[in-house]
Amino acid sequence: MRVTEQSRLANHQRYLQDIGRKLDETQRRLASGRRIERASDDPAGAAVSMHYRRGIAFEAQMRRNIENGIAFMNVTEAALDGATDALQRARELTVQAANDTLSPEERQTIARELDQLIRHLAQIANTEFGDAYIFSGHRTDTPAYAVSGDPPTAITYQGDNGLRVRQISRESQAAVNLIGSDVFGTTFDDLIALRDALDGGATGSDIAPYLGQIDEALERILAARAELGARINRFEAALRQSEVTDLNLQELKSDVEDVDLAAAIVQLGNEQVALQAALGAIARASSLTLLDYLR
Amino acid sequence: MALSVGLDTAVKALRAHQLAVDVAAHNIANAHTPGFSRQRVLLRPIGLDGSDHFTRDAFLGRPGFGVDASDVRRVRDIFLDYQIRLSLSSRGRYTALADALRTAELTFNDPSDEGLASVLAAFWASWHDVVNTPENTAARTALVHAGETLAGRIRRAFDDLSALREDLDQQVALMAEEINAKAREIAQLNLQIKQVELNGDSANDLRDRRDLLLDELAELANISYAEQGDSTVVVYLGNHELVVGTEYRAVTPVADAGNPGMVKLVFAIDGEELAPTSGKLKGLLDARDVELTELQSKIDSLAQALITELNALHSAGFGLDGTTGEPFFTGSGAADIAVNPVLLADPRKVAASGAAGAPGDASVALQIANLAQTPLAALGDKTVDEFYANLVTVLGADVRGAQGLADSSERLVSHIEAMRQSVQGVNLDEEMTNLVASQRAYEAAARVITAIDEMLEVLINRTGITGR
Repeated sequence: MRVTEQSRLANHQRYLQDIGRKLDETQRRLASGRRIERASDDPAGAAVSMHYRRGIAFEAQMRRNIENGIAFMNVTEAALDGATDALQRARELTVQAANDTLSPEERQTIARELDQLIRHLAQIANTEFGDAYIFSGHRTDTPAYAVSGDPPTAITYQGDNGLRVRQISRESQAAVNLIGSDVFGTTFDDLIALRDALDGGATGSDIAPYLGQIDEALERILAARAELGARINRFEAALRQSEVTDLNLQELKSDVEDVDLAAAIVQLGNEQVALQAALGAIARASSLTLLDYLR
Repeated sequence: MALSVGLDTAVKALRAHQLAVDVAAHNIANAHTPGFSRQRVLLRPIGLDGSDHFTRDAFLGRPGFGVDASDVRRVRDIFLDYQIRLSLSSRGRYTALADALRTAELTFNDPSDEGLASVLAAFWASWHDVVNTPENTAARTALVHAGETLAGRIRRAFDDLSALREDLDQQVALMAEEINAKAREIAQLNLQIKQVELNGDSANDLRDRRDLLLDELAELANISYAEQGDSTVVVYLGNHELVVGTEYRAVTPVADAGNPGMVKLVFAIDGEELAPTSGKLKGLLDARDVELTELQSKIDSLAQALITELNALHSAGFGLDGTTGEPFFTGSGAADIAVNPVLLADPRKVAASGAAGAPGDASVALQIANLAQTPLAALGDKTVDEFYANLVTVLGADVRGAQGLADSSERLVSHIEAMRQSVQGVNLDEEMTNLVASQRAYEAAARVITAIDEMLEVLINRTGITGR
């Protein structure tokens, strides 16, 4: 094959272009740290990478949902703590009031403290989280209990049975709220009746049955706390699961998308050597001409 | 007689070698001229072929009458020309296609943290946030803005592709002028070559120029051509004549009734459409009318699915103020998708709830949030996100495929060009050698004249002194 001026020039240019392009590509990847910047860099890898990215975004949102849910339930739990304390105080007062030695005045004093406890419990039942009354079901713009009279003569539930359901993992949804009428049941009616009885001059033996009602109220709260605790555990388990999934997905995504730095640096070195070699070869080949030998 | 024949032979030799030096000079001058084929003097001994008016007897035993150097030919392999033009067409086609598709790919910018995929993810996430706190206006405001960002990105992707198609359309229209200019010059060269070669000369440099134009034309569209007996070349573009003899058929862009807003190229003479099967024009047309329209229709499907599915769920839900029956998105496709302005003005009207007067109910928002995981029949049983990811990766594979074909035809062009250069290219060392050889031969021929001169001197001045 004859070698000609133009083909030699074209060859040199092509070698330098090829090596230059590879060098450029490797440098670009090293600078960005990414093996796939556009789908055309590796279409199959891009498909996988986008799949992982979707998974990562989804898991991040699940964790937001869970964390928001746990915050909601923590507020609920604090409310139930308060309710338990209030009811236990009410129980102590009831035990005192059931003692036949108490005078009617002393029973009325107990009745006044009961008024306070009832108001306090109503406040607890109307706890808000953000813009929502947490015990009102879906009617979160309305306080769960309407209090009439002061001291209260009737406290009525005005929420509904709606559950606040959210997605906490790909497969499962869960509610975060407890329904006020389930948590408090007849508690308010019972306490108002007890107070009225104390005000109405009831004797110790009249009061004794109310003790059973307060115990039932305490049990309702206890059951609600147990239910809530189970839910929080479930949310926390889902949170840990999502964190593990996220970690795996991040790793998988990085495997697909990111440059293997060590390999890329070695490659860069090789390409630089190749470029130097090509430049050297071209410089030598170009300086060889018959003109140097003709007189 | 004999001595004057010798002088004549020597003069022919001087002329021949001088011509060879001229040719070497011409070759050296054009060592880097694109399309140039090196030229060679055809040297032929002039012998006793019986055509001379001398009788055989008179020249019995003579060696011949020197050298004939009337013809200078270019060294060229027309088969390689044919081959390289096929590869040039294919390079033109796939380079144009790959360029257009790569630009389209930049529109989507995925996989990345800023692409449409992450905008979609943010949109679905906003629905979950509304599920978490449906009473919260901030979450709703964030949602309608995420919706508007998504709609904006979809519209922009669609518009970018429209703009790219218009850009390609302009390139198609400009191709007409490019083709005409080359065809016009080939027709002129046909005339010149015909005139030169009628006189028996070789129009080497004109032919080189014509071949270069054929190379360039082949890159634009696939051509076929044939040289005629009168040295002109007939060029066909598709099945239609482009150059016949000394005339060419002009190509012109006209509005294409079947392809709104776009042009098609037709031959001015009979209105026949130019339908190349290869070359840059084919690549431009494929990108404009096949690849990009397909992409646009995919984005349109995606937008339509979002509009239909979201609106069906959303219009059945209730806003915080009891509003119901409102669509979430307005518009009918990717070109005009937008968030319902009623919701943008008052995000409380976002219908997250399944019932009026139940602000804590987010069952509709939850259904919409979970739409992200729902395969849709309208999208070939893919989810919205999967459909989009598929669109991006198929485009990526198309870019890669077109680039691969462009690269392999580029390699083929280089390879054939190297072969062609090996035949027709100029090697300076070779030309220098020829130059030295011709120079030496010229010197020798001059010496022959001196020798004969000396012989004549002897004959005329030293003999026959009797008469003095």
